[in-house]
Amino acid sequence: MKLIQKLRSSMAFNIIGSIIIVLLIFGILVSTLGYFIFTDTFKREYSTTTYHMADTAASLVNGDHLDDYLEGREQEEYQQTRELLQGFCLKMNVTMVYVILVDRSDYGRFVSVFNPINNAVDNSEYTEWELGHERDTTNDEYRRKYQAVYEQQVPYETVYRIKTTDGQHSHITTLVPIIGSDGNVSAILCMQRPFSELFNAARPYLIVIAAATIILAALASIFIALFIRKQFVNPVRKITKEATRFSKENTIGEPLGSVSRIEEISNLAGSIDTMEHDMVSYIDNLTAVTAENERIGTEMALASRIQSTSVPNTFPPFLDRKEFDIYASMTPAKEVGGDFYNFYWIDDDHLAVVIGDVSGKGIPGALFMMVTNILTNQAAQSMGRPAEILAHVNEDLCKHNRVDMFVTLWLGILDTKTGRIVAANAGHEYPAIQHGGEFSLLKDKHGFVLGGMPGMKYTEYEITLAPGDKLFVYTDGIPEATNSNKELLGTDRMIDILNKDSSASPEGIINNIYKSIDDFVGKAEQFDDITMLCLEYKGKDDQDNEH
Amino acid sequence: MNIEKILNGTELTIALDGRLDANTADELETEIVNSLEGITGLIIDLDKLEYVSSAGLRVFLLTYKKMVKQGEMKIVNVNEDVMSIFEMTEFTDILDINKKEENK
Repeated sequence: MKLIQKLRSSMAFNIIGSIIIVLLIFGILVSTLGYFIFTDTFKREYSTTTYHMADTAASLVNGDHLDDYLEGREQEEYQQTRELLQGFCLKMNVTMVYVILVDRSDYGRFVSVFNPINNAVDNSEYTEWELGHERDTTNDEYRRKYQAVYEQQVPYETVYRIKTTDGQHSHITTLVPIIGSDGNVSAILCMQRPFSELFNAARPYLIVIAAATIILAALASIFIALFIRKQFVNPVRKITKEATRFSKENTIGEPLGSVSRIEEISNLAGSIDTMEHDMVSYIDNLTAVTAENERIGTEMALASRIQSTSVPNTFPPFLDRKEFDIYASMTPAKEVGGDFYNFYWIDDDHLAVVIGDVSGKGIPGALFMMVTNILTNQAAQSMGRPAEILAHVNEDLCKHNRVDMFVTLWLGILDTKTGRIVAANAGHEYPAIQHGGEFSLLKDKHGFVLGGMPGMKYTEYEITLAPGDKLFVYTDGIPEATNSNKELLGTDRMIDILNKDSSASPEGIINNIYKSIDDFVGKAEQFDDITMLCLEYKGKDDQDNEH
Repeated sequence: MNIEKILNGTELTIALDGRLDANTADELETEIVNSLEGITGLIIDLDKLEYVSSAGLRVFLLTYKKMVKQGEMKIVNVNEDVMSIFEMTEFTDILDINKKEENK
């Protein structure tokens, strides 16, 4: 069963099978057609030969004395003619000859004059009609043909009995006229010859055709099988093997090259060779890209940690300072961001608080942010005035700024003894101040962003926080948080959120903002960095002061 | 965001439509930087601009720095929301920025 299944699915087997069937049909068609043409030609040849023989026999008969023979005259000549015809039958292998006079009124009856028989030719058992034997015409065919011959419409007529029904052997009978001296037809000579020679000749012919067809089919099959095997099956096997090997090993193998003279197969092999090269270089490429991505991922994770730890990130940061409470958070949209906050002591009583936002996100923003953060810290440590610090940082940033990035920055210096903040704003968002009861935006005096243009001047202003008052500074990621309807959160909503629980601790305030932003944004993606800082002034710490 | 450019001799008008944020600022930067050659007058029409982020401001600043050397630059038809951003960052101090004239 398995073998049959295999054979059925084998292309070579199918092709050879089809070819054999086609050749067989072809052979049958050719031999049938050949047989008919052969039979036809043979019949014509045979009847022509028979005609010539009959014509010769007819010349032996004296057409003028037939009536005399019937009436008993010219007995000697009759006997001579009869013997001549008898001898003719024997020598020429003719079954019988009969000379008859047909009743010309309707050709329905005839009377026999001569009838020599040679039963040995065809194993027949005919008996001779004696002189004057009368008989009805056998059938209409004979009747028509007797008439045609008598009326000399044709030189002769032939009757074929190839498939006989009455037990007679197949034979042909040729009818020729016997013409008297007056030029008229006086009788008909019929000559019957066996026709078995046709089959004797046709059989070898058929055998030759059949044998030729079978041999041709066999040769064609072998040739095609060899061709298919060499040019098709083997190359396809080779290609399949190579493709299977490649899918397992993913390495470039021996080139298949020109495996077949069949163009399509050859092209397929070429495509496999090309595909292997393409795939291998693609895989190499992909491996390299994946490795590169992994490396970048690792580096970005490290960069993210470096950035988040470059600013104070443990709260409360100064356990021994009771004058204020501070909390801040920084959430980049990507691994690293351009936002930052910072706070550090300038001296024992002065805390600098910074929040900034670089005009860019991701790695460029982060690098610019780190530089700004460090420059600001250095400037703050050496200069006391916020306006001076900002102008100085601006010059520094402008000097080396080749990418036209800039940073908005708010800087305030808190005097922890008095709650007084001296601040300056370089294009940054308005701070929110809780003075007494509620938060409100402080529309402070702005200067130009840092790093944009050299030579900028900044103005200072003061905020005084009473104990319990709070300062909230933030980056534009908060007012510009966007929901799925493309609505911005806005500073009004931000103030409302701050005032929902304005007495909360700085940490509580920041957590409230986060939660509200999440609710507002919903499923929309966070596009911008979000950074905020909240400071609550608690009042002068007497213990600390004594210290 | 849509960027529409109309060139009239050496005067170029660029009209912005939509949101100019970090995602679209790069596109605008390329567009502008590639069309400034030989321009002596640049008008940036913000009539249909809904929002500008700091990345967008950066493009205006670098455009300004280029235009200072070759001609004049004006930002016109600025709506209130965008204007407040220009004001907060003090771009109004540096650039020639004109509010949308509602009364006209």
